[in-house]
Amino acid sequence: VTVDEMDLVSQLKEAAPLRPAAYERARATLRAAMAESGPARGPEMVPVPAAAPVREEGFSRARKRRGTVGTLGKVGIGAGVGAVAAAVAIVLVATSAPRSAAPAGSSTGASTGSAAQPPTATSPLMTLAAHIQASDTSPLPGNASLVIEDKKDSAGKTVEVVYALYTDSGIMYTGDDKQTLMSSITQPMNPANNETYRWAVSARNAASGDLATARLRMINTFPNCFGLGLSPTAQKKIRANCWAAGAALRREKMGDKAPTKQPTAKEVQSEIDNTLWVACDNALSWAGGDPRIREGVLRLLSTLPEVTVANSTTDGEPTLTISGGPGLFDDGSYHEVDTVDAKTGMPVSSMESGGGMAPSTQFFQFSRVTLADVKAGKF
Amino acid sequence: MTSDAELIGRSLAGDGQAFMEVICRHEVAVGAYLARRAGRAAAEDLLGDVWVAAFESRRTYDQSFAEARPWLYGVALNRLRHYWRSRPAEDLVPDVTSLANGWDPWPAVDARVDTQAVLRVAMATLRSEEREVLTLVACEDLTVADAARVLGKPAGTARRLLHQARMALRKAPEVAALLTDLNSVKETQ
Repeated sequence: VTVDEMDLVSQLKEAAPLRPAAYERARATLRAAMAESGPARGPEMVPVPAAAPVREEGFSRARKRRGTVGTLGKVGIGAGVGAVAAAVAIVLVATSAPRSAAPAGSSTGASTGSAAQPPTATSPLMTLAAHIQASDTSPLPGNASLVIEDKKDSAGKTVEVVYALYTDSGIMYTGDDKQTLMSSITQPMNPANNETYRWAVSARNAASGDLATARLRMINTFPNCFGLGLSPTAQKKIRANCWAAGAALRREKMGDKAPTKQPTAKEVQSEIDNTLWVACDNALSWAGGDPRIREGVLRLLSTLPEVTVANSTTDGEPTLTISGGPGLFDDGSYHEVDTVDAKTGMPVSSMESGGGMAPSTQFFQFSRVTLADVKAGKF
Repeated sequence: MTSDAELIGRSLAGDGQAFMEVICRHEVAVGAYLARRAGRAAAEDLLGDVWVAAFESRRTYDQSFAEARPWLYGVALNRLRHYWRSRPAEDLVPDVTSLANGWDPWPAVDARVDTQAVLRVAMATLRSEEREVLTLVACEDLTVADAARVLGKPAGTARRLLHQARMALRKAPEVAALLTDLNSVKETQ
């Protein structure tokens, strides 16, 4: 075989391979850039076959989710803690920058997903959000918020403890105890897959600006089939396609051959509101140490007609009790109640009951820390 | 297997993991490409920049191409050009392939070094576009059409550049002599 100039040049292939740590470092750089850019946005919303985003274990709190359109029916229920949405599904992927949104509560024109009540300046949630914003004038100590979530059953017995650290730069770490939290700092979760992180980013965005647009962004943080932001015709078509795909998936995966009715507009709206509630609840519970996120969550919650707010007192301190009514959930007997500090909006507790589940309450203990201190076990 | 184009499409729709999968598929190849062009140390510094640049420009990806590697090489080449431009003038050398380090720890005892030294000198005389096409095809195992994608040029142009590069090398006295030696040795074996 004759050697030619191409053979000679190909000898220049030899090069020392990059070290494994370099690949990981490069990926981490990319993850940071992806997190910085937020959810992808594009010129239009299109239905595409896609795998649902991989959801990493333990990164969101299990909450009752409705499932008819947006989650392809019952297949999607329970895709919370530890669930990896592996099934390939036809999902609607929100790629559009939110269109000029009608005021929350409007249902005309391109839908912003809101049969929601337009919040008023006197809404206690909006008032509290404004108060937090006005009080947020001095820099916080440390560079991260640590929350210790202690989940107790109705007898007051601890059934689960979660440590979550949310840095001011937007990275989250979690653990079951101090040691696992410290260990997790060497392996931060992938923001791209982290539900709570992405919801937190959307919540922070909602702290200011147009509320209807922020609401749309929060709902569309993850792919769904709602078609919000589209024309009524396109939205109807996409919802029908998603419903048909969901029915097919149920037949395939669960042998569910019974014909099902397409969801009513009311059911779809309830599911949209459920999506918003779950997103807000998670962002507040785990990333609520950031005042901007608290502001955003409170503003977003104020758009939900099923949410009621009452003054309360917890351990002698004034609190607000924010109740997610049964209309937000599949099971009418199920409900959730979040309690926040009436002056700071800081989460105090979150209770869930009904729906055949044992009642439980999560108690939150927030503190400001530095990442270095946590890494060194000084917390 | 899902194509790179589909994954990039999903990434544009908000699925961050999809883009990470594309990166995982090609990181070794792109890392090696950078190392060949700029040396391992610089390659390790540049790789993250390449991924970020690719992520930020993924909307421009032509999804009619199933495989993204040539596109990623193109992004990497742009980062390399930026890197070369940003370096102090005294550090610049005409033949960038010579910057790759760690190729062989004992070059004095390895005859390949002679080959490489001859090639480096000869390649330094090529026009940069000729050298790019030549190395993309010979070292990165790309087709001429894919090399054209890297450079953003028509395939016909890349073909012409490759032909010119090969002719220039063949006519270089040192390379011609080397080829004669190598082929005569083979004939006598």
